[in-house]
Amino acid sequence: MSRYPGDREDEHETDPDPFVGIDEGEEVGAPDIAAARDRVVTTLIEFTRELERAGVEVPANASVEAARALVEVGFGSKARVRTALKATLVSRRADLGTFDRLFEVLWRRLTDHLSGIDSDGEDRRENVGGFASIGADPDSDSEAAVETVSDPDEGDSRAASANWRPATGRADEESEDEDDPIRTARYSPTGRSERLSMPAAALTDGDPLDRTMERLTRGLASIGGRRWQAGGGDRADARRALRRSFGTGGTVVSIPRRERTETIVRCVLLVDVSRSVLDTIDRAFLIRFLRAATAEWQGARTFLFDTSVREVSGELAAPSPHATVEAFRRAETEWGGGTRIANAIERIRRAHPDAIDRTTTVFVISDGLETGEVDALEAGMSWLSRRARAVLWANPLAGAPEYEPTCRGMAVSVPYVDGLFAFGGPDDLEEIARQLERRGTNSIGYEHDPRRRARE
Amino acid sequence: MSGNGDERAKAFADLTTADVQEVFDRTDYVAGDDIVTTVLLALRLGKPLLVEGAPGAGKTELAKVLAEGFDSELIRLQCYEGLAAENTLYEWNYTKQLLSVQAGERTSPSVPDTGTETEERREREAEESETGGTSVFGEEYLMERPLLRALSTDGETPPVLLIDEVDRADEELEALLLEVLSDFQVSIPEFGTVSAGVPPIVVITSNRTRGLSDALKRRCLYLHVEPPSYEKERTIVDRKVPELDGAVAAEVCGATHRLRQEPLLKQPGVAETLDWARAVAALRTGENGQKDGDLTPAEIENTLGCLLKEVEDVTRVDSELLESLLESAREARARAEG
Repeated sequence: MSRYPGDREDEHETDPDPFVGIDEGEEVGAPDIAAARDRVVTTLIEFTRELERAGVEVPANASVEAARALVEVGFGSKARVRTALKATLVSRRADLGTFDRLFEVLWRRLTDHLSGIDSDGEDRRENVGGFASIGADPDSDSEAAVETVSDPDEGDSRAASANWRPATGRADEESEDEDDPIRTARYSPTGRSERLSMPAAALTDGDPLDRTMERLTRGLASIGGRRWQAGGGDRADARRALRRSFGTGGTVVSIPRRERTETIVRCVLLVDVSRSVLDTIDRAFLIRFLRAATAEWQGARTFLFDTSVREVSGELAAPSPHATVEAFRRAETEWGGGTRIANAIERIRRAHPDAIDRTTTVFVISDGLETGEVDALEAGMSWLSRRARAVLWANPLAGAPEYEPTCRGMAVSVPYVDGLFAFGGPDDLEEIARQLERRGTNSIGYEHDPRRRARE
Repeated sequence: MSGNGDERAKAFADLTTADVQEVFDRTDYVAGDDIVTTVLLALRLGKPLLVEGAPGAGKTELAKVLAEGFDSELIRLQCYEGLAAENTLYEWNYTKQLLSVQAGERTSPSVPDTGTETEERREREAEESETGGTSVFGEEYLMERPLLRALSTDGETPPVLLIDEVDRADEELEALLLEVLSDFQVSIPEFGTVSAGVPPIVVITSNRTRGLSDALKRRCLYLHVEPPSYEKERTIVDRKVPELDGAVAAEVCGATHRLRQEPLLKQPGVAETLDWARAVAALRTGENGQKDGDLTPAEIENTLGCLLKEVEDVTRVDSELLESLLESAREARARAEG
């Protein structure tokens, strides 16, 4: 299997001259692209069409210019590919958010193409045969959906289109499209899981999260506990004052104060690894964050869920990224199924009753596109809210300026969440930390993110 | 894009990101990877660069540093409402033409008026307007305006053509730009066609006060200059205002960053931050000035005009916000001092 670039955002040091044409791709670590060229071009054209469908003003000759730009930058760096395509396909600021969101899907597709090509140009993947096949969600619902489409060409086209959508659907849209088999097939309740694999190199690249995690830890530690302790806080402790007054004949000599107990940071991370999330999130960043959280927060427990739930705390605590990948492989950890948040909460509640208590901050990383019963989800979130010190929801979709938590899963969950944040990269973690440090759990969330205002 | 664009692309065929980054470093322009990559693509593909972003984000500066960095001429076309084609392309020097024609008439033999034949001759003379064998529609009488000058500049290094704030100009000008930017040549009816030997590096800036035509956007690479992060702005201040103490520079950037979180009518850009940093530095250069002391409330209040340009924004800075700015400044200083 040839090398492929993975999710590296920046690689100046390892790539002295990344602007090597495709024909010279070996110099930047790209495989022989000739064999994959057709599929890459097709993917690029589909990407352009999807941008147009999403309302982006794409210039008429943009695909050609984008292809030329790709020839210039190669595929060695995700950041450069993003910049090159942005420069050629986008022509107004309002479209940048949509572009960034869809680009994550494109990059995943491109790296899928490249990772499936051996150095001799022969394709080793089983499921490669044009864009639709690669992009199609290979679950049973999709098959059912396609069966209902009379025109096979149209069906392919629409299926491809559906797969590009990174799940920003709103409740009203969903209800309108319930009769649309393609749309309803986008997020399968079952979904096909696949073996969790990740090039270890991708986990070591990128900026270290040390400082960000340090700040996030400070922010989490500043969340007020539910217990009070005597101290110099600004709240009067009436109970202690009353008790003391017994010794002074009922006279209150001084008013004792109390403050929230500060404890060490205890976290449980519930991570949605359904296909809809994996299509929008930077997987390498996700794993890097989970590893950093496991290292930074004593006793942090991480559960991956889609249609099933698996604890991966041990794998994430492995000493090196490579060891984590190996541990995942040995554990045959899978991801990419459908989203069943309520089911996950219920299973954790039953199987790990001590995992979450009132000293625990729960991080839910999910797009909220629940495919199970929303009533059950509401009950689960209510339990989490009562049980945990705080519930923070990190949503990969919330970075888009137009995002509102109106899909059914998010709509029922938001009332039980202390803060709903964007989750796409280190900047989003910084923003979570900033808001926690500044405001605790009062009035925090994506709607208070100054970057959102700037993007609007 | 024309073959001329390809000519320019060839001129930059060997250019690398390191080269572009080096240009930016040499000119103290703090550019992220996105800017470096997009500029490189514009040079390598021979396409104009359409730059958008908030005022003060460094759009115009980008063109200036490219000219300085590549040691080429900067030709600026500042757009405004009502800007006419003759102000952008060329004008004839009528005074000089008139004087030349008069001089020619003085030297030409006087011909008696013989009716129709004489009128035809005069018309022909008026059309040709020759004096001493030289047409008054020659290069000597041509006053080049920015677009023509950018096309007719000789030299190995292409000039940088900055078309600034194109959204302020009328749509007619956009149509003219399309023609010029497509072929990098312009036809002058009385003179002929002027083609660029090496097409200029074109940087077009826009504040999006109106949408640009699809045709123009199609010909350009797009770059949106994002507002700088705290770290980037800190680097800019350090480079551009070296006389300001590092810790104070951190305070200035921290406070500005906090200020931008307010819903201001006009958000301060990098240019405003630099003005403020220079003002603070200037106030501290006196005999009693404490160069590395903490930023004080009085300092902020006295120099707030460098940052905020709307009276509503200035009045928004009450004691509570001032305290918040100082807190952000102190946090930034603490981070800077490790």
